[in-house]
Amino acid sequence: MTRTAATHLDAATTTLLAGSLRALFAANAGPDAVATGLAELGWDEVLAGDPAAATTLLFTEHGRALATSRALDGVVLAELAPWLPAASGPRAVLHPHPADGDDLRTPAGPLRGLLLGALDGVAEVVVPTGPADAARLLVVPAAQVAGSAAPAGGFDPRSGWLAVSGAAAAPATTSVAAASAWTRGLAAGRRALAAELLGVCEAALALAAAHTSGRVQYGRPIASFQAVRHRLAEAHVAVEATRSTLDAAWAAAGAPDGGAWAARVAKHRAGSAQAEVMRHCVQVLGAMGLSLEGDLHRYVTRAAALDALLGGHLWLAETTGTALLDGAAVDPVVEI
Amino acid sequence: MHPFAPAGPGSDELTFAADPAAYGAALRDYLRTEPSLDRWRGRHYDSTEDRIADHAVLMGGLHRAGWNRYGWPADAGGLGGDPRHRAVLYDELSAAGLPVPEPHLLLETLGPPLVRFAPELAARYLPALLRGEEWWGQGFSEPEAGSDLASLRCRARRDGDHYVLSGQKLWTSHGATATRLFCLVRTGTPESRHRGLSTIVVDVDAPGVSVRPVALASGHNELAEVFFDDVAVPAARLVGDAGQGWAVAMYLMQFERAMYAWQSSAVALRRLRELRDQLRDRVHGGRRLPDGAARRLGEIYADIVALRARSAGTVRRLAAGAAVGPEASVDKVLLATVEIGLHDLARDLLGAEFVLGTAPQAAQWRADWWFSRSATILGGSAEVQRTILADHVLGLPKESKA
Repeated sequence: MTRTAATHLDAATTTLLAGSLRALFAANAGPDAVATGLAELGWDEVLAGDPAAATTLLFTEHGRALATSRALDGVVLAELAPWLPAASGPRAVLHPHPADGDDLRTPAGPLRGLLLGALDGVAEVVVPTGPADAARLLVVPAAQVAGSAAPAGGFDPRSGWLAVSGAAAAPATTSVAAASAWTRGLAAGRRALAAELLGVCEAALALAAAHTSGRVQYGRPIASFQAVRHRLAEAHVAVEATRSTLDAAWAAAGAPDGGAWAARVAKHRAGSAQAEVMRHCVQVLGAMGLSLEGDLHRYVTRAAALDALLGGHLWLAETTGTALLDGAAVDPVVEI
Repeated sequence: MHPFAPAGPGSDELTFAADPAAYGAALRDYLRTEPSLDRWRGRHYDSTEDRIADHAVLMGGLHRAGWNRYGWPADAGGLGGDPRHRAVLYDELSAAGLPVPEPHLLLETLGPPLVRFAPELAARYLPALLRGEEWWGQGFSEPEAGSDLASLRCRARRDGDHYVLSGQKLWTSHGATATRLFCLVRTGTPESRHRGLSTIVVDVDAPGVSVRPVALASGHNELAEVFFDDVAVPAARLVGDAGQGWAVAMYLMQFERAMYAWQSSAVALRRLRELRDQLRDRVHGGRRLPDGAARRLGEIYADIVALRARSAGTVRRLAAGAAVGPEASVDKVLLATVEIGLHDLARDLLGAEFVLGTAPQAAQWRADWWFSRSATILGGSAEVQRTILADHVLGLPKESKA
């Protein structure tokens, strides 16, 4: 990771930006308002100056606010763009459907996947297609995909995501062989999602700490019971482990493959962290954790959706383990 | 490359001391090409005594070539640098398929407070410790002072220029083989809790010291019970001032939590590689692995990477002179997760071979499995770590006293 001293995000700037991002996401005005707000903040400049800190900050706040936007598309497209022809207008990404695992759909179609939001104002949809080790990128007119898109719904009804099923792949404006581009795009997307999961988990843990500190039973706050305290401590450990692993993934991002392996580990850790954090939080919030009377369910379902996108933690564990058993190097990822 | 230059620091030494990465690259080259190191690869020992003694020989070699002197100050026989150099040493040894010499585990805990609080003792003893000529035990726990360390009762009474020790230590790491013990003792009143403690270095061969080895369930004498029967120890052996024992112990804990976690991650990565190779041999031999083997292997691998990521950050902070506080309990919890998870994985996947295997590798995994259980006990139990996080990091309401 290269940072120039002049543009490195210092603590004061980070706090200031975090405040602006919170205000922007709190308005909850939808993807277009988020894009406009980021432009007003001069986000591209912030990003260029310190990609690691800026991306992690943006997505952590995005997660904390349970925001919906196409910010993730921007991260992935930034890696794919050099391989693609000039855009005819705004682009979106059709993300691989979680049910397909790493098996990208064939370029012959029909297409299937997830869109992060409606295609209003979008001109082209970029679709990674398989096989994974020789990916091709299709650029498909948005109108060709829009008809096959329907609200994804499911466990997280507020994701705003659309599921695309059965869209025709042809005619595509472009079909380019871009395995390395997709490897980089996937790595960048996974780092962003790990940061977003971090934000969701931090917010859920804060909610649980506040609830258990205020809720009195047997004459004392329930957070003074060791069983509750230790669950929250374990959740904290899971959050911090994710933060450190994400930092390590950014440190590896300068590699020619975009730090793909380290990014995969970071997404894996973030996914297992959300499972652990949410398990503990749902328990210590009692009935408030599992009913519509409280807000925790929003974090639980968003975390599950983000975990599923670009590789769920169980699937990443399985495929990492299989790669190791097949003889992959036991990569230390982190050095002093 | 041979950086050891008896006449004084050579240019390599100055470069290495200033640049842990350059040091690491040269060290990696040495470890890969030095033929005499092969005897320590894949070696299993039948007893703790054999293992420590043989590892001490490895330390001697590393010392002669200069490598384990980086990260320690010149005044104490080192070649300069900071804790990152030590972290690189442990990592490169593991990457090269070599053990982290056992005495380094406790040296990492006892060395920094010695340098900080007792520079004369460090100048006198650290060179021999780095050469592997002697190693020390850590005498903290007692029968009635485990997790509640501040309740310890082993007394040290001032008598002229000596202290007279009476009492007992238990679960003393390396106590069965060490020649000196780094002890936390009570110099204040019995009620003084953490205010009345001091740290002092005691010779095991001093009159009145008796040591009873304590074996783990593996049969290996990893620990000891030590009795002090009016043992006279020169006051010059105090580490820090009288009454400063708790501060010394807290300073020591930073390294125990941070550097031990890093050491553990380095060794765990080597052991995971070895386990993976054993499992691959089994698959190539036509046998199948238990269901879930790949997923669990992937999970433990990610746990190890997370531990490395976390503890590398803590080691860098220590190297920069920052104080590491209660947040280091995160490192300790992650370390324990790795130790327990890795060894349970080996036990489960090796299956019958773990239970009944007669090969040295199987015996090693069995002994290591028992040792791994200590990860949630020693240096502050898993419960103590979670309570520290709940109190001091999350700021939750305190538990009420019993």
